[in-house]
Amino acid sequence: MIRTPLCELAGIRFPIFQGGMAHVSDGKLAAAVSEAGGLGIVSAMNYGGTKLREQIREARSLTAKPIGVNIMLQAPTAADSAAICAEEKVEIVTTGAGNPAEFMPLWLDAGIRVIPVVASAALAKMMERAGASAVIAEGGESGGHIGEAATMPLVPQVVDAVSIPVIAAGGIADGRGLAAALMLGAAGVQMGTRFLVAKECGVPQHYKDLILKASDTSTIVTGRRLGHTVRSLKTPYSRHYAQVEYTDISDEELEALGVGSLRRAAIDGDEKGGCYLAGQIAGMVKAEQTAAEILEDVMRGAEEALASAAAYLK
Amino acid sequence: MTFEKIKEIIADHSGEDTENITLETEYTSLGIDSLTIVEILMDIEDEFGVTLEAGKIGTTVGDLVAKVEEGQA
Repeated sequence: MIRTPLCELAGIRFPIFQGGMAHVSDGKLAAAVSEAGGLGIVSAMNYGGTKLREQIREARSLTAKPIGVNIMLQAPTAADSAAICAEEKVEIVTTGAGNPAEFMPLWLDAGIRVIPVVASAALAKMMERAGASAVIAEGGESGGHIGEAATMPLVPQVVDAVSIPVIAAGGIADGRGLAAALMLGAAGVQMGTRFLVAKECGVPQHYKDLILKASDTSTIVTGRRLGHTVRSLKTPYSRHYAQVEYTDISDEELEALGVGSLRRAAIDGDEKGGCYLAGQIAGMVKAEQTAAEILEDVMRGAEEALASAAAYLK
Repeated sequence: MTFEKIKEIIADHSGEDTENITLETEYTSLGIDSLTIVEILMDIEDEFGVTLEAGKIGTTVGDLVAKVEEGQA
């Protein structure tokens, strides 16, 4: 059995978070992951006020275990979402794309544990000083909005920079990844892509099929030019974007290409016009399973990996 | 004194010569990204025992010096 400080901190059985994926992570998926022993996280980004509250309450109706909400701080609805998390007293808030300092007092007063996603050691330090309970060190292997540093160098440097638990994210989808993250000093992992194909995840089947048939070279990074660096699966949309990104296309036209593309993928399943976010690890995700099966598989794999590693000690 | 130390920290992270950093120098002119600014702020916090917020440090080195002195008062 594996137990880490993250289990106590987050009130979970397995040290695994399901990433808050915009347009993907709803109350149903979060509840399934939490009920099975991980931490399910609802993405606030795709829901304004009332809708977020509904998703949190739906998750609550399906599980009595802790749940989290992920807030993308640059979203126009961030302040609204922050207040709803406090009112609904979710156990954990994870944040991305910005500094949560202004919302910290509100959340800490409500007894919420705040766990920001960070892309550098200095940011991790800043979050620790602002009152974060832990940080998620997310490497550029992950899907969606990404930073420059990769998981392998980022995690140990963040671990050395702070004294709160560190959760590794980016490029992790099985037990070997969890075991490796623990060896780097992390207290747990966050996975997005693997949970995207969970049976309880409501994305269009086309999205799941793209991940299930992906290989190790199936993702591409676009958007650097405009500062919205994003990793997604190679599809007609992303190939086109990559082709035109460094031509004489104007910033406005390029921006217009991006508008609505995530929604077209995760909600509509638009094969041509959707931007299907996924991490580099998509090539290793080969089965649509329940959240419980995914968690069991990752935990069993990590136990095997950690136990067999002892054979290298002579 | 505060300015001298802050100048050293900024020079250390940006690679800019200390003599080129004045109170009027804007962060954007140093060619540093937001992650580097956070590194600079963390070093300044360690040095002066103050708390700084990334979004509230103005636009020039002089703004930063004022924030630090305000925080120490």
